[in-house]
Parts: sequence; structure tokens; C-alpha cells
Amino acid sequence: MSLSHYIYLATILFSIGAVTVLLRRNAIIVFMGVELMLNATNLAFVTFARVHGTLDGQVIALFVMVVAAAEVVVGLAIIMAIFRARRSASVDSANLMKL
Amino acid sequence: MIPALGAQYLGAQLPGVDLVPATFNYAALSPILVVLGVATVGVLVEAFVPLRSRYAAQVGLTLAGLVAAFLLLVLLAVNHQTATAGLKVLGGAVLGSVIIDGPALFLQGTILVFAILGVLTMAERLGGVGADAFTPMGSATPGSGQEALALRAGSMTSEVFPLTLFAVAGMMLFPSAGDLLTMFISLEVLSLPLYLLTGLARRRRLISQEASLKYFLLGAFSSAFFLFGTALLYGYSGSVYLPDIAAAIPQGGSELNGLLVPGVFLVAVGLLFKVGAVPFHSWIPDVYQGAPTPVTGFMAAATKLAAFGAILRVVYVGIESARWQWSPAIAVVAILTMVVGAVLSVTQTDVKRLLAYSSIAHAGFILVGVLAFDRTGVSGVMFYLVSYGLTTIAAFAIVGLVRADGAEATHLSQWAGLGRRHPWTAGTFAFLLLAFAGIPLTSGFTAKFAVFEPALRSGATGTIMVVVGLLASAVTVFVYVRIIVLMYFTDSQNDAVAVVTPSVMTTIAITFGAAMTLVLGVWPTELLQLSASASQFLR
Amino acid sequence: MTNSYIPLLFLLAIGAGFAVLSVGTSLVVGPKRYNRAKMEAYECGIQPTPHASGGGRVPIKYYLTAMLFIVFDVESIFLYPFAVAFNSLGLFALVEMVLFILTVFVAYAYVWRRGGLDWD
Repeated sequence: MSLSHYIYLATILFSIGAVTVLLRRNAIIVFMGVELMLNATNLAFVTFARVHGTLDGQVIALFVMVVAAAEVVVGLAIIMAIFRARRSASVDSANLMKL
Repeated sequence: MIPALGAQYLGAQLPGVDLVPATFNYAALSPILVVLGVATVGVLVEAFVPLRSRYAAQVGLTLAGLVAAFLLLVLLAVNHQTATAGLKVLGGAVLGSVIIDGPALFLQGTILVFAILGVLTMAERLGGVGADAFTPMGSATPGSGQEALALRAGSMTSEVFPLTLFAVAGMMLFPSAGDLLTMFISLEVLSLPLYLLTGLARRRRLISQEASLKYFLLGAFSSAFFLFGTALLYGYSGSVYLPDIAAAIPQGGSELNGLLVPGVFLVAVGLLFKVGAVPFHSWIPDVYQGAPTPVTGFMAAATKLAAFGAILRVVYVGIESARWQWSPAIAVVAILTMVVGAVLSVTQTDVKRLLAYSSIAHAGFILVGVLAFDRTGVSGVMFYLVSYGLTTIAAFAIVGLVRADGAEATHLSQWAGLGRRHPWTAGTFAFLLLAFAGIPLTSGFTAKFAVFEPALRSGATGTIMVVVGLLASAVTVFVYVRIIVLMYFTDSQNDAVAVVTPSVMTTIAITFGAAMTLVLGVWPTELLQLSASASQFLR
Repeated sequence: MTNSYIPLLFLLAIGAGFAVLSVGTSLVVGPKRYNRAKMEAYECGIQPTPHASGGGRVPIKYYLTAMLFIVFDVESIFLYPFAVAFNSLGLFALVEMVLFILTVFVAYAYVWRRGGLDWD
């Protein structure tokens, strides 16, 4: 199988993640969309590492995983605080500030 | 045999595994390492120092660490100049992952100054136990009994100081990152603490938490774009190092050629989000309004500076030779940013939101300087960032002092007649507003000149951008003058609004910011020379 | 070529054999006493929660535990490349790794002292 298929898959996954962020209303699910985008990027990195025959991409994937984990922790903390204050994790109910 | 299988696997899949031991220039990294080390000690202080002495320990430790890092940096910069007369040295600290060159030193020093001023304003207690701007307990539900209990017990979120230090370390690393991975990591290191700091305001907790959520979701979204762009550029050039990407551009012709432009644009999304350029600006008003006011001031000054530093490095070290493919789009972004920021600031009724839209417009002005594509453009941008940051920190510090019943009076109508009752405060604020507007004899004028002049020389696009920039400036002048009129020539209906007397720390921050705004307007030569001599990127 | 996979097959067989043997032995040898608690769904260490479809929700403090777990779990990612390349990296990398783990322990000390590990 050609390596370009992996790139297409990564792009598709990235797009699904981006669409999830834009369309879903639950903060946790929006956040899962972001995580999907990061993991799609990991797939792209590993594939390109194979294409170029260098190790960089594989190492980068590890760094991205750690950053994603740190992001999860901060994000869950924020969403948890909001949920406790409002009993809702919908991004639409976060509307105290409007233009 | 298993071992044979393993060796076979390694041989087939991982060619060229000759590990080069990394070389570190610890002297060049020392300011960043000091900030990170002090931040880690700050976490230990949180864990082991008893509550009553925590505030003093944290503030003392944080300020000492920042000052120490700044002195180290000055030492480094002086040596750098005397040893080699301003040529490129000290580079490639970590296998080229961190480049400490002229712009990096200049921007890191400025970030440390901003951080010292920012911490001085964040530490303001106004007679309370902990820092006044921050909630006593971040995890407590707003208005709950738990929160009242925490307040009575005298608890405080002194974690804000280590968090600020971590953010500062990320900001220092951001403009000195020599490869896109380091840039991504430092982007996250600077962003994650800021997401948390945004949600810790003492008053109007719900708005603060909401700002935090919006900042986090949009920030994570945009950094994912940055990362995917990095992946595409890695696919294009086989390396994430900016000089390697620059070297790959003229070769071209490979089957992966199509990855360059999408990669550049996706990376640009991540960077332009951080500076708040249109159309990636929607978070700025909400976050600036919801965040604790000292955090807003620090964030507005330092994040913008760090992100523009990173943009400069990506543009001038990495992708300049392909600029015909991407610079028209960025020019459109710059024009949109100036127009939208200026026009929308007209309709604002909240001081913090108004300053937020003004910050969007300023991001547009700075982008004009970035697109000049020569060394004077770089030095102009750096000068602009310094003067804008100092003015911003002082302005938000003053906003934090105007109170009604203990809470900040941010609605513009509450500022009516302030000039008569508090002439000094209102006078300083009016002066800072004139600097934002770019009136001569303020740093704002010098700064606008420093970015517009190289842009004018760069060609037709530059001229168009400068014309739009001047028109946008005219609109913002109207906005600022309206506030000044409101403060001095309108009768107040509300006597509850008063300026609280700050401690010496906030006073220092405001005085320094305002004084530098004047100095850089009247006598800018020294800093202009410094930024010009520091404007050569190491490639 | 195929030779090199034989040990893997052995490992597979041993693993499967152990699983079948231990479950089978307990079926044959073990006592059989049924009560209500035994018939319930099993969740590790807690009262079973209702089905998710019936609106069953997880207590919010699980998120705190999950966050702490993620932090300490994912940091160990860096140990893998370090272990693979240890021989060619030498002492320097060892010192760096010790510093890294110490830093993670700073976070642990914070969580522990501020009550993040107190259940209830």
C-alpha cells in the first residue's frame, strides 16, 4: 500500500476532528475533536518519518502525546469547574459575554 | 531467535540511527533555566510552606527569579556584543533547537521586564490577605459555601506566581525556537498556564471561567492547526528545523512540493491566533474582559511580543524565499485586522473590551512591519512590541484600580467625570490612550513610524497597508479622545466610583510604564539603536 | 526466517494455556456459593453504577483522578526512547532522566500535600 494513503487518512481524521470542534456543542466532545486532530497529526508525522527515512517524526509523535496529555489535564480542570458552577458542559450555555 | 528478529527490525526500519550527543550552551540557556527552576521551587513552596507565609515567599521568590534571569541575560548580551561586535554568535544552543541570537536576546529581555511589571501588578493586595485580583479558591463553585469558607480561612491561589513563571519560560523559548517542534512545545508551555490564570478572577467568577473555557478550546484548536502545518512542512522538507525548511524551498520539484503552501498557512493560523489577527481574533475581547485585570495586561503585552517574535523567526529564517506564495494572504489579514480592530472598538462600552479591540488593531499595525521583509522592519516590529507592551501593562493596571463597591468599574459610563475627582490617575490614563492612538511625543507615534516607514519602502502592497493603517489609526484616535472627553468633560452620575490607593508595587508598574511611554516618545534613539543592532537573525 | 517466529508461538501457547488452566482449575476445584452481591455487575472497588443509557453519570471526582493518572502515566513516555538509546547516550542522559523524574515528583509532592490524593 502506498504511503500517501496514510497521509490521506491523516488529513481525513484531522478534518473530522476540526468539524467536530466546530459543530458539536458539548465541551467534552469539542475537546475530543481537538484530541483527534492531534492524533491525526501524529499519524502524519510517523508516515513522513517513514517517507524520509528519518527518526524525527517518530520522536515528535512522543512529544505531541505528552503535550496532548497536559492539554487534557488543563482542559478537564476548566470544564469541570464550569460544569460544577452551571451543571452544564454545553458551549452554548457559556454566553455571558456577547458582542 | 528473538534477538535476530529485533536486530532485523531495527535494521530495516530505522536507518541512520547514529545518535549524536547533544551539545548544550548552558550559559545561553541560563535565563530560561533560572525561570523554570524558580517556577519549580514555587510549586514546592505551595506544597510545603504554611499558608500565612506563602504570599510573601511566592512574591519574593518570583521577583528575585525574574530579576536574576534578567541580569544573567544582560550579562549574556553584553558579552555577546563586546566579544564579536554584534555579529552572530552564541547560536545553536541545543542542536539548533534553541537559537539565542540578537532578536532572541532582545525579546527575552523585554519579556522579563514585562513579567516583572506584570507580577508587581498581580501581587497587589489592597489590604487583603492574598492577591486581590485572584479568587481564594479556584476549584470552589462561585458563590458557594465552600468559597466563603476558603475566604474566611484566608486561603489564596498563590499558585498564580509559579504559573506565571512557567508561562514566562514558554514565552522566552517561543521566539528563540529554531525548529517547529520546540516552537510548538513552547507555544503550549506559554498557553496552558494562561488558560488557567484566565479563569481565576476573584470577582465575576462565571465570566472569568467562561473566558477560560473559550480561550482554552480555541487555543487548543489553533495549536492543532499549527501542529498539522508543522507535519506538512516536515513532510515537505524532511526536517522541522527552520534553516532546513528554508534550504528545501529553492530546490522544489519533488512530488511533495504541494505540501509547502498548506503547511505555511496552517502554521500561520496557529501563530496569528496567538497575536489575535482577524479572522482569528474572536477570543481576544472575551478573554481580555474575563481574565483578572493584571493577567490581561501581562498577557496582552507578553503573549503578543512572544508570538510576534516567533512569527518573525518563522518568516525571516524559514519561509522568506517562498514569500510570493503566501505574503499576499497575510497582507489581507493585516489589513482586515487593522480595519476590524479599529471599527469595532468604536462600539465598545466596556473599558477592557475596548482595549482588547485596540490590541487587535495594534496586531494589524505590527503585521505591516513584519511584511516589510528587511532588517529595519524587524527592528521596527521589536520597538513597537516594547512600547505597546509597556503602555498596555500600565493601562490595565489603572483599569484595575477604578472601583465601585470593591469591584472593578469597567463600564465606560462609570468613568464619567473621573478626571475631576482623580486628576493624576485619569491624566495618566489619558496619556496612555494618546500613546495607543499614536500621537506625537508618545511612544505610540515613534513605534508606528518605525513599522510604517520600512513598509512604505517595501513596495506597492506595503504602501496600501500603510494607507489603511493610517486610516485605522484615525478611527482609533476618535475612540480614545471620546474616553478622554468622557473623563474630563462629562458630569458623573455615580459617586460610588473611586480610584483605590494601590500599594507601592502597582505604583511602580504604572509609573514605569507611563514614564517609558513618554521617554520612548521623546527620546527613542537609544532603544531604536538597540533594536536595530539586535535585528539580525542567526540562520 | 520462519524459525524466528517459533519462540513467539511458544509464548502465545504458554499464555493461552495459563489462562485456560487457571480458569478451568478454579471452575473444577473452587467452591460454588451464590448470593446477590455475586450476581451483580462487577466494577472495581465501587458500587456498580447504573447503565449509561439510563442516565448513569460518573461522579465528578473521577475526573480529578483521571487527570492525575494522565500526568504521571504519560510522563513515562519519555522513558521508552531513553531506555532504547541508553547504551549510546551514556551518563549525561541518565542525569537528565533523573532530573526529569525529580521534576515529576515535584508535581507529585504538590498533589499529595494539597490533598489531591485524599479520597472523599
